[in-house]
Amino acid sequence: MGNQELIVEKHSERIHHGLEVLPTLRHGLPAGLGNKRWTAELILATYEMALTGDLPKNGLEHKIGDSGGGFDVLGWKNNGFPKVDQDSVDLSISLNKRGEGRKIEIPLPIYGGGMSFGSISLNFMLARVRAAQKIGTYTSTGEGGYPDAIVPYRDHVITQVATGMFGVREETIQYAPIVEFKYAQGAKPGLGGHLLADKVTSEVAKMRESSMFTSLYSPFPFHSVYSVEDHKKHVDWIKTVNPRALVSVKVSTPTDVDMVAIGSYYAGANIIHIDGGYGGTGAAPEIAKKNIAMPIEYAIPKVHDYLVSEGVRDDIVLIASGGIRTADDIAKAIALGADGCVVATAEAVAVGCTHCGNCERGRGCQVGITTTDPELSQFIEPEWGEQRIVNLYTAWTKRLRWILAGFGLKNIRELRGRKDLLVRYK
Amino acid sequence: MDSETSKPSKYERFRIETKPAPHVYQIPNKFDVSAKKLRLAAMLVHEAFEYKLNKEVVLSRPCIYGVFGGRFGGFKPLKHKCVGCMRCVQEYPHIMAVKQSDEYKTLGDSFWTPEAVFTIWNEASTGKIPVKGMGYKGAFGGEGFDGMWTDMSEIVRPTRDGVYGREYISTCVDIGRKPTRVDFGKIDQSPSSVQVPVPIIFDDLPALEFDVWNAVGKAARKLGTFFVTHDQTRGEDYRERMIPIVDDNSLDETLEKRPSIVEYDGERSDLSEKLSDSLQSSIVIARVPLREESGLVACKLAREGVHGLHLYADYHGQDYSEDPKHISESLKEVHQLLVKEGLRDQVTIIASGGITLAEHVPKAIICGADLVGIDTTVLVALQAEFLGETQKRGTYKLRPRKIDPAWGTQRLVNLFGVWHDQLIEILSAMGMRDVRRLRGDIGRSMMDAELREHSFKGIAWATKN
Ligand code: SF4
Ligand code: SF4
Repeated sequence: MGNQELIVEKHSERIHHGLEVLPTLRHGLPAGLGNKRWTAELILATYEMALTGDLPKNGLEHKIGDSGGGFDVLGWKNNGFPKVDQDSVDLSISLNKRGEGRKIEIPLPIYGGGMSFGSISLNFMLARVRAAQKIGTYTSTGEGGYPDAIVPYRDHVITQVATGMFGVREETIQYAPIVEFKYAQGAKPGLGGHLLADKVTSEVAKMRESSMFTSLYSPFPFHSVYSVEDHKKHVDWIKTVNPRALVSVKVSTPTDVDMVAIGSYYAGANIIHIDGGYGGTGAAPEIAKKNIAMPIEYAIPKVHDYLVSEGVRDDIVLIASGGIRTADDIAKAIALGADGCVVATAEAVAVGCTHCGNCERGRGCQVGITTTDPELSQFIEPEWGEQRIVNLYTAWTKRLRWILAGFGLKNIRELRGRKDLLVRYK
Repeated sequence: MDSETSKPSKYERFRIETKPAPHVYQIPNKFDVSAKKLRLAAMLVHEAFEYKLNKEVVLSRPCIYGVFGGRFGGFKPLKHKCVGCMRCVQEYPHIMAVKQSDEYKTLGDSFWTPEAVFTIWNEASTGKIPVKGMGYKGAFGGEGFDGMWTDMSEIVRPTRDGVYGREYISTCVDIGRKPTRVDFGKIDQSPSSVQVPVPIIFDDLPALEFDVWNAVGKAARKLGTFFVTHDQTRGEDYRERMIPIVDDNSLDETLEKRPSIVEYDGERSDLSEKLSDSLQSSIVIARVPLREESGLVACKLAREGVHGLHLYADYHGQDYSEDPKHISESLKEVHQLLVKEGLRDQVTIIASGGITLAEHVPKAIICGADLVGIDTTVLVALQAEFLGETQKRGTYKLRPRKIDPAWGTQRLVNLFGVWHDQLIEILSAMGMRDVRRLRGDIGRSMMDAELREHSFKGIAWATKN
């Protein structure tokens, strides 16, 4: 083994070992870890769940963060002991509620959010698609194209069509069981995307059909869409190229998010995916993350109630994302009116993310997540990452079943819109 | 060649030329990295055996930012390079500790958080907007501007040029009274309004060093904006950019110098009359503290013919009511009363006090201001020293340091450049082409308290065990 390989092996082992040791709190709670949304405890609890597939046993907080609002001030009515057998609780949801088209069910109300090739390493991308396959759910390509390495997993890969159209080709649309139109992203709503020049390596440039080491922008909005009718043409285009694909429309959360949702229903979307401002992103101006568009906790009931009042709630799937960190966040989102959630950052935390925000600095992520650096990328072996993500979702499944069983609910679909089961804290 | 088409265009895109103006006074390290030295030594011995004295492997370090790249490696980490990624702690949890440094944690005061101070320092030194990876890391909502989100538009963009099109979004605003009708007979004697390219001016500050005011004056000239001062000896070389605050002592001097804009204490109607009579070509602005009856005062002044109102809160953005409110609240009240009385378009509103971050500019404008004034932010950008609370206008505890005016000018130009860019981000997300359309457009904002009541309706209150 050459020195380079030895160095990678050394640090890889050390990082993996650290992810096992840190949640034991043998060395205390690391003072510099975490922030209000992803507290140190939440990060360590996620490491622990990704290791064991079970909820933390040492009292690490795994349900809420410390943001002082939204999901963090919501709790559950005291539901006492399980009233139904936890193992029998059904967590599956359908991703197509329309009368026509392919029926797709996922065994738990979660699928993976878009993280593009280029903004994340291929190894992490592979870990994610492999985990999706193992669980029987999906994960999204993001806007960076469709690397050959993930083609074998295509039955579990959502092809994202975003404004830059990077890597969008006839075959990548035809591969897809679900095609996701990304109109906007919660963390940078209305601003489009930006991949810094350093990350545009030859592979990334090839995939995106662009020039190496040149910044790539995806504009905002789709320049071909200025009305719901234009949007419908988009949906029709996908359905012509791939009649079997379900169509998801990913939007941000403006004041009129309810109208956007009904517009998407009209255009024929199967899934309306609303993405709140507090979710993840590669690089985004801080001003956008904090200040533009409403948090997902407020957008879900607004959209759910409106779709109910329009009489179409049971014809379209409402998926929420942008700040979903825990199993409890998922259950709360569903109780507020969503059918299910899209998760991305928690998957990164499962493989060692510290939510430090340095993704775009220098060589990129120091533990191999958001980087195209050949050495750093190797810290995440796809099999190892896959197992960590599967374990995390296994632990979440237990928590979701526990919540539902406590209320005597046999099916997660019964939880939708049950705000009455929630309490809020001052 | 067609000579018509080959003529160089006279059009110049508006941009603020930013360039690095590094800190001259050392700033605290954000993170404090330390290693347990004995354990570190033991680990090195252990790894020397494990990797058979292969120096390259043994000495390969966990930090990709060079914190352990000094001569003494982890024994004497180069703390200033640490970005808090925590990889060293992940790899060696029994040896390494990383925390926010005490100097960082004690920066600022009860209003200026360490994060806010760092943000302004970085904006002023780099001229680049703050960009970070992963998601938002702060509190969910909060008081004042923190409890407010701006709208976005899913399909409308003010320009088709995406990020390149930002130069076509106007951030100009006018200061002064706008004629409400076409005036064929030149009946309206109001002075013509003055335009600033960015809706920000420098507000007055108590006594300050000469160099600071030179930097402020020069920056105001470069940026095409104004600075307000009660002392007309400050920034004298940039007099055309000065908005003097007139009192009895400075009245004669002001009348003689004929500034294009002048401010006076809104309670002094005698001064108002004198100024209007003697300075017919100047824009006259009344300074009014925000408090319970400011709306009525504003309407009265507008009816009396002032051209603008400079509404101010304290430096923490609290108004002067018995039960203080945030400037966002009181500003909204004044704006809405002026609208209701049909007077709003007759006056320009400048808002100041607590405008300390880029996002406060669009938010204050949404609350009803035409433009804002910045105060303590100027000093923070110039690396002034926090000596206590900065809340009170008269006795704020922020000591300016000695500066080179050229450096100070660049820091302030950078700050404006970065705030301008961020204003554009907000406007473009909203699909707006002109900042003037944002004024008072409450409908394009979302309030935490309102959304919470609506979306969490029906959820019972409980107390945490
Ligand atoms: S750089 Fe930090 S925030 Fe970004 S992926 Fe890596 S660990 Fe997570
Ligand atoms: S926290 Fe990260 S940047 Fe700081 S010393 Fe450790 S490895 Fe280096």
